[in-house]
Amino acid sequence: MKYIDEFRDGELAQKLSHEIEALAEPGRQVKIMEVCGGHTHAIYKHGVEQLVPDEVDFVHGPGCPVCVIPMGRVDDAIALAERPEVTFTTFGDMMRVPGGRGSLLEAKARGADVRMVYSPLDALELARRNPDREIVFFAIGFETTAPATALTLLRARAEGVRNFSAFCNHVTIGPPLRAILDSPGLRLDAFIAPGHVSTVIGTRPYDFIVEEYGKPVVVTAFEPLDILQAVVMLLRQLRDGRCEVENQYT
Amino acid sequence: MTCSDEAIPARVVEVDGPNATVEVEGKRECVGIELVEPVEPGDTLLCHAGIALEKL
Repeated sequence: MKYIDEFRDGELAQKLSHEIEALAEPGRQVKIMEVCGGHTHAIYKHGVEQLVPDEVDFVHGPGCPVCVIPMGRVDDAIALAERPEVTFTTFGDMMRVPGGRGSLLEAKARGADVRMVYSPLDALELARRNPDREIVFFAIGFETTAPATALTLLRARAEGVRNFSAFCNHVTIGPPLRAILDSPGLRLDAFIAPGHVSTVIGTRPYDFIVEEYGKPVVVTAFEPLDILQAVVMLLRQLRDGRCEVENQYT
Repeated sequence: MTCSDEAIPARVVEVDGPNATVEVEGKRECVGIELVEPVEPGDTLLCHAGIALEKL
């Protein structure tokens, strides 16, 4: 991928790390929630936690659609998958997620027709090729994934494909953030908001976080330098007493 | 993968109706481009779950 080395440059990371150290106030703990699971992954993969001082804590947020799906929805998916006329399609990472009655992988082992797809468009292709089967797509994900489901349904309708349906479990990022902000005893100072979700929804849906709850937000991309720069931007806001939605995403 | 809702930038090699062949790290894939049309070879698209979400 182009520019990947630039966004993982060790020298620049050290520079940002020193800047964060200079901005951190000794004895004042700053808790920053990275909303998206992609950021959590990047923080651990690249050891970003080791590049910030003890005064800065990352708090891992709710933004993993696989982790946040209620168990009952997995049970419903299994019930659909076990119907004899159904071919049930799902992203690979949902296969092992347990519901109350095991996982889709276990249902497959018992004989259910469960297939892994990379895109709902692949599920639609299965429907075109198998007109005698009911193809159901397990639609999960935040705003980044919902457009793929929507586009697939539009194509299915336009083509008159009647044996394709989506079991919709899409979620939006606003309500879980509000639920977190409303929780009693909350100790969070700022938010790293998800970059790719924001390419779909923009930055305005985060305005309530600064306006109603007074917490700074920086929309951030997924490389280690992006995350470190976001921490710098958030610490500057806190130092200056500002509270804004800023965009770091390049 | 849906986990983390991350999208990937990919370069367009060929356009065929509502689909484009894109290249990511030497691998080719087909993505739906209705949301970002018009698209030309050489464009870079942000792709997730088999569709292009944004033109970069």
